[in-house]
Amino acid sequence: MRKISILAMILLLVSAFSLAACSKSSSGEKTSGGSGEEKDGKGNVTLRFATWDSGEALKIQQDIAKKFEEKNPGVKVQVEAYGDGFDQKLAASFGAKNPPDMMYMWNFPAYYESLEPMDKYLEGDTEIDMDDFYQGLFNYSSMNGKLYGMPAGFTTRVVYYNKDLFDAANVPYPKDGWTWDDFHQIAKKLSDPSKKQYGVGIVPEPDTYDLQGLVWSNGGSFISNDGKAVKGYMNSQETIDSIQLLGDLLKDKSAVLVGGKNQQSGDDIFKAGKIAMWESGIWPLAGFKEAKVNFGTVEVPSFGDKPAKGVIASSAVSIAKDSKHKDLAYKFVKYYSSAEAIKMRTADLPVRISVVKEMNMEQDPTLSPFYKMLERSDNTPAFLLNSNWNEINRNLSAAINAVMLGQDAEKLLNKAVHDSEKYMKK
Amino acid sequence: MKLIPASSTPYVEINKKKKIKWDKVVPLLFISPWVIGFLAFTLGPLIYSLFISFYDWPVVGEATFIGLDNYKTMFMDDPLFWQSLWVTVKFAALFVPLNIIVALLLALLLNQNVKGHSFFRTFFYLPSVISGVALAMIWAWVFNGEYGILNYFLSLVDITGPNWLNETGWALVAMVIASLWGQGTMMLIFLAGLKSISSEIYEAASIDGASKLTQFFKITLPLLTPTILFNVINTIIAAFQQLTLALLLTGGGPLNSTYFYAMYVYENAFKYFKMGYSSANAWFMFLIVLGLTMLVFKSSSAWVYYEGEVKKVK
Amino acid sequence: MKTKSRVQKTFIYALLIFFSLLFLAPLFWMVTTSLKSPEELYLFPPKWIPSSLHFENFKEAWISQPFTQFLTNSLTVTILATLGQIVSSSLVAYGFARFTFKGRDFLFMVLLATMMIPWEVTMIPLYMEFNFLGWINTLKPLIVPAWFGAPFYIFLMRQFIMGIPKELDEAAKIDGASSFQIFYKIYLPLMKPVLILVGVFSMLNCWNDYLGPLVFLNDQSKYTLTLGLAQFKGMFGVDMEGIMAITFLISIPPLILFFAAQRYIVEDVSKSGVKG
Repeated sequence: MRKISILAMILLLVSAFSLAACSKSSSGEKTSGGSGEEKDGKGNVTLRFATWDSGEALKIQQDIAKKFEEKNPGVKVQVEAYGDGFDQKLAASFGAKNPPDMMYMWNFPAYYESLEPMDKYLEGDTEIDMDDFYQGLFNYSSMNGKLYGMPAGFTTRVVYYNKDLFDAANVPYPKDGWTWDDFHQIAKKLSDPSKKQYGVGIVPEPDTYDLQGLVWSNGGSFISNDGKAVKGYMNSQETIDSIQLLGDLLKDKSAVLVGGKNQQSGDDIFKAGKIAMWESGIWPLAGFKEAKVNFGTVEVPSFGDKPAKGVIASSAVSIAKDSKHKDLAYKFVKYYSSAEAIKMRTADLPVRISVVKEMNMEQDPTLSPFYKMLERSDNTPAFLLNSNWNEINRNLSAAINAVMLGQDAEKLLNKAVHDSEKYMKK
Repeated sequence: MKLIPASSTPYVEINKKKKIKWDKVVPLLFISPWVIGFLAFTLGPLIYSLFISFYDWPVVGEATFIGLDNYKTMFMDDPLFWQSLWVTVKFAALFVPLNIIVALLLALLLNQNVKGHSFFRTFFYLPSVISGVALAMIWAWVFNGEYGILNYFLSLVDITGPNWLNETGWALVAMVIASLWGQGTMMLIFLAGLKSISSEIYEAASIDGASKLTQFFKITLPLLTPTILFNVINTIIAAFQQLTLALLLTGGGPLNSTYFYAMYVYENAFKYFKMGYSSANAWFMFLIVLGLTMLVFKSSSAWVYYEGEVKKVK
Repeated sequence: MKTKSRVQKTFIYALLIFFSLLFLAPLFWMVTTSLKSPEELYLFPPKWIPSSLHFENFKEAWISQPFTQFLTNSLTVTILATLGQIVSSSLVAYGFARFTFKGRDFLFMVLLATMMIPWEVTMIPLYMEFNFLGWINTLKPLIVPAWFGAPFYIFLMRQFIMGIPKELDEAAKIDGASSFQIFYKIYLPLMKPVLILVGVFSMLNCWNDYLGPLVFLNDQSKYTLTLGLAQFKGMFGVDMEGIMAITFLISIPPLILFFAAQRYIVEDVSKSGVKG
């Protein structure tokens, strides 16, 4: 009896699976390259390219990939959009030894061991003009003296302001060289909680990365320059004061909390004319223009006599060490950072000086503050300095989140330092 | 439905050859899909999960056997474990009784033989058919501190509503409210339970002069206790598995005040890729749920009346 | 005592209407938001009825992400999984309801017990299993398990079959029909209500599932609608009205399904009886 029942089970299993197999072909679904070695009947090669972009920005990636396919017959580029789950999905694919051939990258300390160094490809390449790139960007994609990614796009952060709201309150527009005191006063004047209008929007759980410009401007930092200490840096008076400044803005209702998980983003609320000032990168600019918001941009404020500092958010394109088509992948990366492709990337700022010159971007009044901020962005962000930054950052994020919710910055940052000490020894 | 004959082919052939044994095989053939599925998708994974929980099992690199270390770390050295457990317990303590009360109240109202009760029944059930993602999106907008509709209603009665999803004290309450909105299935089960109580009992009680309130406490509630038991157990399990709302509404924040245990397990596995540790977390939760369920069952002899007993009492 | 006093009746109606409003208001808020212009979105006090209806919100939101692709994926999963669920669950239910064999009651207890296993416990091994099979980032993990039946549906169907008089198949047996023919020709037609019930439940479940797609799918081209909506943020020209528009759109099929099968759901959901 047992034998027969096992036979029956197997038959049933087979029939069930063949049904599932039928379903597959009928759904027209193609299994994504299991090995990366995938070739279809015509001997074509499929390259997989992973990105975190979505929406308009994703369409740009797809257009660039299509252009590359046109220039390289027989090569297919499959753009894989991991969206929000980029880090998780990428880590999983590295773990499963099945990573995409090329991918967007910013967190080099976490991934560089799985990436292919580019230096030897670049040395043998006479076509590529490395001097045309903003040199500072290479710092963001190098580890231990080796280059692991080619810059694809970047942005600095500026303050957007709604001219209509300023006009209505008879407040003059902010100018480069303004201070955080100016900022606070303006924000207070432009706030009218009864109308649900506020001077500035602040994210309750900001990416600590974005706050580094503010902290550096006050002479503080999250971590020492050699990456070996947070004590005396993350909880220095300068750092505490700069973070507390945001908490204070919220306390006297000059600012309002925006964003958070699936809440209206500050971009949207700025667009709706409910906040007068909004600190951000280049990303929302096109949307503001499209929505016909009457806005201007200005450098971030300084702390009086100390110079204002900025932080760069850069995206680079890297090649996986486990890729089976590294030469082809390099070809793609090279095209991706060519002037032609860079021009197509309208969602962030061009990484090539020649493209910027050609498009007269430095003369554009809404764009020029971004380039002025680029000159102010010469500090090294914390994640490049310590390989345990992810863990340390969880403590720091929790502390900063609590400050935004009205708690005391000094106590919290001291606690964050205390909780992070165990990661410093390693 | 053409698919079915596929699995019947073996049966026809064997049937011709071995008529007698066939009688014993047929039933197994019928239940074999579930048996295979159970082995492949439930029992196998369940055991494997326990196995992994004794390993340091990163997604990259070698797995190493570490015995009970995962469990030790969990209890001794991981504040997030306690935080998430505490959040879940708080949520369950609020949600389980409220859910039962609301669902029972609605079922009682619907059981009053009023005109149009089928419309009302539909309204109450409607939110339960839409996706948890849609539910989260809707509530994120309703709960918005500045522009949300909930705070607008509160402002009408001169209450300044909190910034629901951004205040540590209120975010969990917001979750409870959003979860209560999907109580429909429970209400239907209560309704079925109410309908199964025969009207004769009530009539007899009325003749004896019992008031409506007495009838409710002396007849309806006792006879409904088996249904309540079923719903209590289901709600407890649901509370411990609450993840979608946490992921989408608050992401566990602010300050981990809505960092549910299920989210802790999920993030350890798929954000930090500590597969072994996360399996240990999951098994601990399994034991808790099992323990709570047994506790409820054990206690049930004290408060659940089965129909046979009630008749005896009478 | 059968006739209630007027006061009582009014009170009951007032409560019913009050609760109806509580349950419908968020849905209504979703619909009106999806039709608003961006400027009216942030008005205070809020506007319930938009001054002009912006149906273009739906189109804009729909094309801003590959929602057509998501829809195809959702439909594929929902239809194939539900089909499998009905076929396999009815077979298994019949097996449990109409045969006596050694260990049947034990197996059935095991089946019921599996309903209590939290998904977190099996999630990681399942992920590894599907990864081993090369199924990650395909729709298979969402479809194939459904072809092996689900405890709750099996339970519902078994209860239903137990209620069918046994004399029917006795007669058929005498006519020389095999067990399978009896199941196929006699039981399946009789089981129509419970098949519909399970079909609707399964469709709702698949359509609304979020965690399965979240764990097993990587690439946007494989996303289902729920996952697509969850990942769809207010970026670049897509705002709250867009999110609400998509939310509204993906809620329509479940609502239609519910209204179409309402009588089966609300009447039958627990006719099978829940006794502790």
